[in-house]
Amino acid sequence: MAVASDTQAAAPAPEGPAERRARGGAAMGLLRRFLTLREGSIIVVTLVTFGYFAITTSNFVKGDSFKSLLPYFAPLAIIAAGEVFVMILGEIDLSVGAVYLFTPFIWHLFHHAGIPLYLSIILALLVAMGLGAINGIFVAYVGIASFVATLGMLFTLDGLSLVISHSTPIQVPGTGIGKVTSFGQIFGGGTYSELFWAIGIVIILQLLLTFTRWGLYTVSTGGNRLGAAEAGIRTRMIIVRNFVLAAGLAGFAGILEVVRVTSATPDPSGSNTLLLQVVAAVIIGGTLMTGGDGTVVGALIGALFLGILTEGLTIKGVSANYLDLYLGIAIIIAMTLNTLVRRVRTGSGRA
Amino acid sequence: MPEPAFAGEKIVGPVTAPDDVLRVEHIAKRFGPITALRDVNLHLRKGEVLALLGDNGAGKSTLVKILSGFHKPDSGTMWLKGEPYTPKSVLDARAHGIDTVYQDLALIDELSVYHNLFLRREPVFRPIPFLNNRMMRRDARKALDEIGISIPEIRAPVARLSGGQRQAIAVARAMSSNADIMLLDEPLAAMGAKEGALILDLIARLKEQGDVSIVMILHNYVHVFQACDRVSLIQDGVISLDKPTSDTSVEELTEIVVDEYRRARLAERADEEKAAQALAEAEQERQG
Repeated sequence: MAVASDTQAAAPAPEGPAERRARGGAAMGLLRRFLTLREGSIIVVTLVTFGYFAITTSNFVKGDSFKSLLPYFAPLAIIAAGEVFVMILGEIDLSVGAVYLFTPFIWHLFHHAGIPLYLSIILALLVAMGLGAINGIFVAYVGIASFVATLGMLFTLDGLSLVISHSTPIQVPGTGIGKVTSFGQIFGGGTYSELFWAIGIVIILQLLLTFTRWGLYTVSTGGNRLGAAEAGIRTRMIIVRNFVLAAGLAGFAGILEVVRVTSATPDPSGSNTLLLQVVAAVIIGGTLMTGGDGTVVGALIGALFLGILTEGLTIKGVSANYLDLYLGIAIIIAMTLNTLVRRVRTGSGRA
Repeated sequence: MPEPAFAGEKIVGPVTAPDDVLRVEHIAKRFGPITALRDVNLHLRKGEVLALLGDNGAGKSTLVKILSGFHKPDSGTMWLKGEPYTPKSVLDARAHGIDTVYQDLALIDELSVYHNLFLRREPVFRPIPFLNNRMMRRDARKALDEIGISIPEIRAPVARLSGGQRQAIAVARAMSSNADIMLLDEPLAAMGAKEGALILDLIARLKEQGDVSIVMILHNYVHVFQACDRVSLIQDGVISLDKPTSDTSVEELTEIVVDEYRRARLAERADEEKAAQALAEAEQERQG
């Protein structure tokens, strides 16, 4: 390290820190760049967690535990990907869990009314996106704090789900008991189906965030809303659009999940636990609650971290009573590491 | 309808010149109970640099934001190059050739220098509309070099830059947009002497070419006489003075502003006395 910096100092041409860093790109430089990536610290934390469970338990690395981790991890990652777009705006969508719960029942309703399978899915997703649009309009145009607007939506949809389902589980369209239909194979029923959807969605949304105007304007709106508007960005449109995205993905994850288990249960407490895990995955992944910065891939890894942690603790035979306790402590430790690394990255005293 | 001005105040009526590129008449704007602009008449000639002066809260920034399409006026009319001008948005105004440097600079701290420079007019690839970052970096470098501002690292987020550098980027953004009317809201506020001189040089250069007309909000009278052809003074939401810089002086401008301050103090004192009197009367009534 000392040698490397000496040769840099001796370099004849005056060059900016970027060039210097790029040229001195030895192993240390690469490591430093990796660690200071938005996702760098959570990748390390996740790997360490994985390694810990791989060493201390005998059957963690086997395929089975990975498979049993998937149903937990994949819907989380999909919903978190949408939530990232809302949280970069400096807003929050508390209704994603409720939309996740509600959409399958609407789907069932449509299908029951005689609408063909695929069309009814599309209609159900449109309803979910419409709910997102309502969230966005209340936040962007009416001016209600997103926390409040989406909290209202959360209770409304939890209630509606109970009402239209009469509090009883329903058989999900396009699935059969004891066999997985080809429709089911694609939409969540196949072992890796949800995983493929999750990875595909995360890749597309990360590209959207990093390489398109939509992503740039999302960061701008979250970073400096007035400034973005002055520069000509239609910030309200961006806000509505991102809430639509978040709700649409939550609805889609809901459909995948009920197809996997072939029945839908009106269980608001389960969906609200999912909501909190989504927010945790997004924040652990390196997205700022204050807006202006965020990463979809980070949220995916955040979801993976939560999945590995839950699965690992379960395999280790930790009593169910201790599970949440350990989970909570682990989240705080992971967040602390994240914040410290971010400080190095942004070069500021406090991020 | 604009409210009548208070007694003794001078209001400049609509003024025109044959080579006006921009003209506004009887512009009024309220924000709830606050009247920002009462009756503003202003014109801008081709190739001219107009200084817009006035105290804090006089309505300068509001006027600029109306011209830039950010606010809509409550009443009044605007003409751009002889045509009626009613910008629907900032983008619409930009499409008409009006670009703005706002007082708060409208920079996004989290974005890189080049993303800020091209904000809202980013080049994209076709058919998949990904951002053409390479092109932006190249053009950003070129634009900054042309202006002569030294920004070593255009990939860095603008949060890391100094106040003067940030301001330079905001100015460069407006200049590189090929606007023929530029609105600059305190473009020199956060700048050191050297950077300020650079921007003034740049404005002088633009003036020489004669294609760009500029409205500039300034606080420093030295800059006004250094860079501007004409001065308009806003007081209390109306234009109260409109003169070529050659016909006025630092003393005259100072005198007007100080006078305004005195008048405000007098009015304040009168208000205080009235309030004290009312209080005393109320007290008497209560006891009597």
